[in-house]
Amino acid sequence: MVKYFAKRLGMMLAAMLAIIVLTFCLMHAVPGGPFTSDRKATPEVEAALNEKFGLNDPLPVQLLRYMDGLLHGDFGPSYKYSGKTVNDFIETFFPVSAKIGLITVVFVLLAAIPMGIFAAVKNGKWQDMLIMAVATIGVTIPSFVIASLLIYFFSHQLGWTPAYWDWSAAGYILPVVALGGYSVSYLARLMRSSLLEVMGQDYIRTARAKGLSEFQVITRHALRNALLPIITVLGPTVAGLLTGSFVIETIFAIPGLGKWFVNGVSQRDYTTIMGITIFYAAFLMAMTLIVDIFYCLIDPRIKYES
Amino acid sequence: MMKKLISLALAGALMLALAACGGDEPGNINDVSPAPSAPASQQPSGAPTSGGAQELTFVLSNEPDGIDPGVTNNSFAKYVLNNCFEGLVTYDESGSVVPGNAESWDISDDGTVYTFHLRDGLKWSDGSPLTAQDYVYAYQRVLTPATAAQYMSMFTDYIVNAKEFYEGSATADELGIKALDDTTLEIALMKPTAYFVDLASMWCFDPVQKATIDANGDRWTASADSYICNGPFKMTAINMGEGYVLEKNEHYWNADSVTLEKLTLRIITDNATALTAYESGEVDGITAIPAADYSRLKASDPGFNSFPSYSTTYYNINCGKPPYDDPLVRKALALAIDRQAIIDSVLQGRGVPAYSYLSPGYVVDGKDITDGRSDNELTAGANVEAARAALAEAGYPNGEGFPTLQLSYYSSDTVKMIAEAMAEMLQNNLGIKVDISSNDWAVFYDSVQAGNYEVAAMGWSADYQHPMSFLPLFKTGDSSNNSFYSNSEYDALVEQVMVESDPAKAAELIMQAEAIAAGDYCCLPLYYGTNTFLMKDYVSGYYMTSSSNLYFQNVKVNK
Repeated sequence: MVKYFAKRLGMMLAAMLAIIVLTFCLMHAVPGGPFTSDRKATPEVEAALNEKFGLNDPLPVQLLRYMDGLLHGDFGPSYKYSGKTVNDFIETFFPVSAKIGLITVVFVLLAAIPMGIFAAVKNGKWQDMLIMAVATIGVTIPSFVIASLLIYFFSHQLGWTPAYWDWSAAGYILPVVALGGYSVSYLARLMRSSLLEVMGQDYIRTARAKGLSEFQVITRHALRNALLPIITVLGPTVAGLLTGSFVIETIFAIPGLGKWFVNGVSQRDYTTIMGITIFYAAFLMAMTLIVDIFYCLIDPRIKYES
Repeated sequence: MMKKLISLALAGALMLALAACGGDEPGNINDVSPAPSAPASQQPSGAPTSGGAQELTFVLSNEPDGIDPGVTNNSFAKYVLNNCFEGLVTYDESGSVVPGNAESWDISDDGTVYTFHLRDGLKWSDGSPLTAQDYVYAYQRVLTPATAAQYMSMFTDYIVNAKEFYEGSATADELGIKALDDTTLEIALMKPTAYFVDLASMWCFDPVQKATIDANGDRWTASADSYICNGPFKMTAINMGEGYVLEKNEHYWNADSVTLEKLTLRIITDNATALTAYESGEVDGITAIPAADYSRLKASDPGFNSFPSYSTTYYNINCGKPPYDDPLVRKALALAIDRQAIIDSVLQGRGVPAYSYLSPGYVVDGKDITDGRSDNELTAGANVEAARAALAEAGYPNGEGFPTLQLSYYSSDTVKMIAEAMAEMLQNNLGIKVDISSNDWAVFYDSVQAGNYEVAAMGWSADYQHPMSFLPLFKTGDSSNNSFYSNSEYDALVEQVMVESDPAKAAELIMQAEAIAAGDYCCLPLYYGTNTFLMKDYVSGYYMTSSSNLYFQNVKVNK
């Protein structure tokens, strides 16, 4: 198993290298550059900027210099925001996105799993129908609609929560609900169908035949297997929630990484695009790896052989 | 999810209950406790939260790319720079240039040497003295290539040996910027430029402190401690992605006149969220009003503000590309547009029909220099007959034989709606085919600069309050001339404006030049801009210049 994970790590490094090179090439292939702003810079200024950031060198040289910085943990200076580095961006914005994301993950798990179990237990009854109807709506309505409705009711009409991010405890509520809405609905449906499938299997019949109560059957035998699909999607879901959502961060004016990343792309802030892409990629890989480790722990049948 | 629906239902029920009580708007909402007291009577909303505190939160709609006055030219930086820094001159409530750090200035008889007399006892926000040498340092820094100062050409185009100094072929002694003593700054110009004082109001002419830049390099603007400034307010917090907190600067020369103690500039890019925060009383003012709410707020919100802006929105026509090199074709396009319809239905009234690229707003001897100029046969509505006649004269009767017109614009909701309306007007009124396409700004602007377009969305808002901010847009070979319009007579007149020291004569030359280019339909003018923003009615004393600089130094919060 150690050998398996060592191999996985090697593959991750190779993938990372490919991501770096690909992103770098794609980024430079897109028209426009970091110095295209609403006021055209004079040729002298543009030359000075290119000189300052070494953009006159051939692209392979730039790439190598970038990778060298990367090995020293330096994501480089922002081309767009004078005096700022990409390390500043990640250090400032990631904790905010991650904190909201983490709270959202807890909210999602606490809401989705009980909802899914309850719906499966009440399979075909009105409770099931209601939960699934709500979950279907939750999957189909985009988060910006949910966010706008929440702001309208709770901030504008009722005044219970602030309309924008102000670091208060109440300020977390709306972003977390809007951010988690989709995942709650999706995971609840997944939990339900997964549990129903497991409940139809022979070993559950055996457990029932032993005379266990339905509660024991579900908690002791069914749930463990039924959770596997949830854990599979949880990896990318957690990574997605923790790295920040452009839509939610824009609507609630949250200083988060998701918004900054998208801004960086539209502004062609090359180092920001590279830095955050690499950071996201590393994060997503780590989450997938953690999920694989969890598989082993939760299901003894799964063994990783190399 | 179910929890949420129940809460929504509860919210709905509560709303009905509140409405039934007769209070249609809840009171002030800084209190986030989950027990709202239903307003029993029609009390005015916006009740005082913090008794008479001179504090204000104003929402910005975007993050500036930097707040170094010597470096940035980003228009979102103005809220910070105009309130944290003060240059030699500044603007008052009436929009006129008035003394700032400089108490007065003399201009040599030939109009080329400006001597600024600084006030005695000027100080930086850290309490250290600010002298004419600081100005020299700041200006030399702009003229250092490594600074990559965006507005560098504001110096190199006008000041003696500035270009040579930038290129390294002139020394600091030869540069036309000198501190004669601690309070006297002398600037020597290459030509008698009548509008140099207007230029000097730009933030690239603000002083910056050598000590903090030596100690912190580029990063002096990254934290409030090292952000040393000299204006009415000083920086107390810089929160990237979030905003700025400014406080009254007790070392400002005119600090006695500053009442506001604390100014929070909060960045909220979603205009609808910003409006909600404003209407629920969480913030005191916002810069950008969502288009859908514009009419309602204009009619009903006492905090609605509208100031003319020195800007024009127009469409570039590629004058270097047939058939658009024919002024008659350009004229036909300009005549076929119903400007009033665009202003009324797309902009909700936010604009004035434009018949030229040069916005009104520059006043000489109490008279706007554009008063009484030609409308170039354009009208607020479309003039279909004349448009068709012009197109026929150009050789395309009823649009026959005219190649499909490529109309390009950049991704933005308003710009998109305008482009779609224009495409329809051109097709219906001229009988030609129009293809529209859009791209994000960086891609769009790249192709416009490369001349890879036919008709493209554009606009210009002045950097400084003088027509010279607009005229180079159509001057042959100017880096900002993306429409490739070229007319030697026009070029010669613009050159003359640059050296004319008498403002009245300059105004005459400006209008002659403008008549040539606008009469040639060098672009397709749409509308002159208006700056609108919301500020609660208990705030007084703020003012906005036509370069859309908003000043808070005289602000009082009366609640």
